[in-house]
Amino acid sequence: MKKPSLHPLTWWIWAGLLAIAIVRFQSTVLTLLCVGAVAGLVFWLREDAPWGKSFSWTIKLSLWILFVRTLIGILIGVPIPGTTLFTLPIIELPRWMPGIRIGGAVTSERLSSAVSEGILICAIILVFGAAASLTSPHRLLRILPVYVYEFGVSVVIATSALPQLVTSVSRIRQAQLLRGQSLRGFRSWKRIAIPLLEESLARSLDLAAAMDSRGYGISRKRSRYRPIKWRYTDYLVILSAISVVGLS
Amino acid sequence: MIKFSNVSLVYPNSTKTVLEDLNLEISEGEMVLVIGPTGSGKSSLLRLINGLVPHHTGGILAGDVSVDGISTQLVKPGGMSHLIGIVGQNPLNGFVTDTVEEELAFGMENLNLSNDVMRKRVEEVLDLLSLAPLRARTIATLSGGEQQRVAIGAALVTHPKVLVLDEPTSALDPIAAEEVLSILQRLVHDLSLTIVIAEHKLERVIQFADRIVYIDGQGETKVGTPEQIMLDSPIAPPIVHLARALGLKDIGTTVREMRRLTHEVRGKNYHEASHEVSPQTSISIKIDNLKVNYADYVAVNAFSTEIYDNEIVALMGRNGAGKSSLLKAIAGISKEVSGGVGVVGSNPQNLKGKERRECIGYIPQEPSDLLYGQSVAIECEQADVDNEINPGTTAKLLSQLVPGISGDTHPRELSEGQRLGLALSVVLSSNPKVLILDEPTRGMDYQAKRELVSILVSFAKSSNKCVVLATHDVELVADLATRVIFIADGEKVADGSTLDVLLSSPAFAPQVAKVMSPHPWLRVSDVTAAIEKL
Repeated sequence: MKKPSLHPLTWWIWAGLLAIAIVRFQSTVLTLLCVGAVAGLVFWLREDAPWGKSFSWTIKLSLWILFVRTLIGILIGVPIPGTTLFTLPIIELPRWMPGIRIGGAVTSERLSSAVSEGILICAIILVFGAAASLTSPHRLLRILPVYVYEFGVSVVIATSALPQLVTSVSRIRQAQLLRGQSLRGFRSWKRIAIPLLEESLARSLDLAAAMDSRGYGISRKRSRYRPIKWRYTDYLVILSAISVVGLS
Repeated sequence: MIKFSNVSLVYPNSTKTVLEDLNLEISEGEMVLVIGPTGSGKSSLLRLINGLVPHHTGGILAGDVSVDGISTQLVKPGGMSHLIGIVGQNPLNGFVTDTVEEELAFGMENLNLSNDVMRKRVEEVLDLLSLAPLRARTIATLSGGEQQRVAIGAALVTHPKVLVLDEPTSALDPIAAEEVLSILQRLVHDLSLTIVIAEHKLERVIQFADRIVYIDGQGETKVGTPEQIMLDSPIAPPIVHLARALGLKDIGTTVREMRRLTHEVRGKNYHEASHEVSPQTSISIKIDNLKVNYADYVAVNAFSTEIYDNEIVALMGRNGAGKSSLLKAIAGISKEVSGGVGVVGSNPQNLKGKERRECIGYIPQEPSDLLYGQSVAIECEQADVDNEINPGTTAKLLSQLVPGISGDTHPRELSEGQRLGLALSVVLSSNPKVLILDEPTRGMDYQAKRELVSILVSFAKSSNKCVVLATHDVELVADLATRVIFIADGEKVADGSTLDVLLSSPAFAPQVAKVMSPHPWLRVSDVTAAIEKL
């Protein structure tokens, strides 16, 4: 079936509303349900374009954040009484840092609160990641009013650079693998980061020059070719998000 | 139309003069070709026309550039967009929107044209460049030639008087290149458009040019008709080298002219050149019923072949025919592979680290993907450490391949040819048995290409080595390859000696072969050798 073409702002508004709902839910189960639904939607609707592939990276990023957040939640924090799972050695802190404890007893309550807080953060990241991968950054630029020209240029460069970065990473990784480099560990990141940075800088400069020479921003008024209209499907998407907020 | 008066250009933090005291007037409806070695300032000259240099890049500009009476000193590039259309070296980097139609409309939206004007002009351009079937496509999914056409269309919709193109055919296969160039020629004749074009592959464009601007890289420039410039230019297409080798009085720039001039030479009775068939020794690469499947299409289908050592094999075919996919499968980097690939007896997918480096050397389309050092010296040292060889070996190799690179230079500051040389010496330092190159000559000038040919030939001649390369460059294949495999839609169409394959299709025949047909000669050296034997 033909996938619906939506207004570029729709998914961003939708993501904002869902984020509100997730914060209001205060429930890990409902949050996970929400994330599952969002992920399903992304894999169904995303286009075969560079930004469409950015969602799997968002997932990896948020899993990493979840891990770090949980670890910190266990190590540092206010002790919560409850069933003790195991006890870590307490590190003595100077007297001028009262109320903070590193280590100590890890209770199941402490663990679960750390995990659920982590999930909350990740859910919000994922929801906005979904919006980014469902909306073409270039279409987003098209609806920007022209008086924010300078801002518009930086937005399009930033947003179009990010997903293309993902494509470049895999290409450079391949090349480095072929040079016989192992790609584990921190040092390997340097090998990828340097060519990557150079390439994206060059690309951004090219894009800026191209936009400039094609007259972007010279006229205060800007006409629209086949203006992007707000359709009933856009209302449907937004309404669905509002109803989720209503439920929370 | 375009007027350069006493133009000199120096970039900041650089002592090199890019242009010195250039005076040039280009009139309406002229097609001007800008040539010169890489890094000589061709792109700078093009970008001076609409003021991107110095408005966008900085630099000190003396003198004045004006287009249709408007000086670039007073108007920013954006203010010239109704007058000048510019197509950059890599059109994909310059696309602002994602679909073909929106991209075409972008320039007009900026000029605040009304919707009905835009609709009409978009349709015009879609027809002019035969883009109509692609109108709703996502640009990222188009082939290289189609993208180049979209970029030209996007520059044309504002009805500019001048069109500026930076290496429009460097990424295209010969047929797509021909298509783009014939469109440009039609624009000059039908609309009296003024076109300024920079290109390395002179054999493709020189026949269309009215005048040539030659930049030597030291600030000196020379302007003249193609015949004048080609009399003594070090940068010349094979056809001109042929005319010089034959000692012809006149120099022809098209195949037609050259055939008239060489009528007598061709008429003589030549001995059949005996083809020395190089003894086939052992198999280096064995491909058996290989398939590469991506999510929605088959890139390589049921491909089988055997490549022997001492061979230099060129893979040719349209943009998107599956050349890169095949190379990646041989290198063992594709995961979507079924069927057998054996490189010197081992499965390339299982190779790791040192073992891999000693078996396969691979140069990707962007050689800079391999490089991450902050300077050439660091890069070479790293290669020495990786391969556990004597310190300085890689640096020595580099100085043999491309002499005169300072160790302190950052890889980014090298020219295309030098960067490829660095990547090659890093890869060759581990002494691989098989060398794979993906489109090595993009953006390379004739000098760099000659160097590449001699490097690869000497590599393949050392024992048990073979080279596989994908390329669009017919002249390179004629100079270098011993065997050509032609691919279309992932399937092998032709496979044979370079002579047989190149001569069998006019589109892929090198210039010398077209001029000297029906004699089976591909290179200038073939012709001179045959004449000597007479």
